[in-house]
Amino acid sequence: MLNTALNSFGAQVLFATSSDENYPPERMIDGNMETFWLSTGIFPQEFIIRFPDNMKISVISIHSFNIKRLRIEQSTNEEAEDFKVMAEKEFEQTEGSLQTNEISLDCSNATHLRFLILSGYDHFVSVHKVGIQA
Amino acid sequence: MVKLRARCILVGDAAVGKSALSQMFCSDGSHFQKNYTMTAGVELLVKSMSIPETNDSVELYIFDTAGRETFAETCEKMWGQPSVVCVVFEISSLDSFNSCSRWLERVRAHCNGLQLPGVLVGNKSDLASRREVETAVAQEWAREQGLQYHETSAKEMENCDAPFLSLAQAFHAMYQDRRQIIQRLSWDPTDHQ
Repeated sequence: MLNTALNSFGAQVLFATSSDENYPPERMIDGNMETFWLSTGIFPQEFIIRFPDNMKISVISIHSFNIKRLRIEQSTNEEAEDFKVMAEKEFEQTEGSLQTNEISLDCSNATHLRFLILSGYDHFVSVHKVGIQA
Repeated sequence: MVKLRARCILVGDAAVGKSALSQMFCSDGSHFQKNYTMTAGVELLVKSMSIPETNDSVELYIFDTAGRETFAETCEKMWGQPSVVCVVFEISSLDSFNSCSRWLERVRAHCNGLQLPGVLVGNKSDLASRREVETAVAQEWAREQGLQYHETSAKEMENCDAPFLSLAQAFHAMYQDRRQIIQRLSWDPTDHQ
């Protein structure tokens, strides 16, 4: 499941704080590591993923570059509101390869996940793939 | 097409014309403050700059910061993580030029090791008869610090866009560079055999 493209079962990116038309946020959930979303300056940066149903999530995996501090919030609401913090993590810096991180959660329910990129190792950060394990 | 965002920290001694310069730039020359009022905190001005020969633009969030030492410390807390820096002095005051390295250090301390493109601006070029800082001297110091140098006169509406265009272009160039690095990094040759 971690390797499944999120968009293949109806998940979508509802919102992202910045976008270059060549690197749209949908690229984070197309399952392809070569395509990515690129932030366009100033932190924090944020994006929200919406699931078609309420999902039980045990692990979130993220392939990225130059993200430093990330906070993940969940909402069980039908609308993207009432977010609660699920996890906050500082990623290690990588050179010459992407950052690969898995974040375990204790089987939380969510209709929406909000990702807040609080800081970076550079002015611009990329997210290549977001996966979840139910 | 991309719209970038940059946090531009504007610093320098009190009364060198930081507010006059940023307001001149943001109002396209329609607003020169004739009476001096000291900036006590941080004033935020926003303006979008188009990058020539592209469809891209950079939205500059200009943090016009009080130059007076009493206020400076509080102001620093509002800077966040700077994207670019604009250090201003007046060509008719050697003291204000000598303060530039201190201002630059102060902003760099907030960068957490991130690259900081910047410009040095010699304002009040209309006061050439009272010049205390030679262009060549300012240029040389700017070069050592990796800054672009511009002389402006906010009063005469001379060259006020140039420093900000320079900053926007430097930030845009950095974006292009990082974009290519990430593109190369994520390209997996085993998928393309």
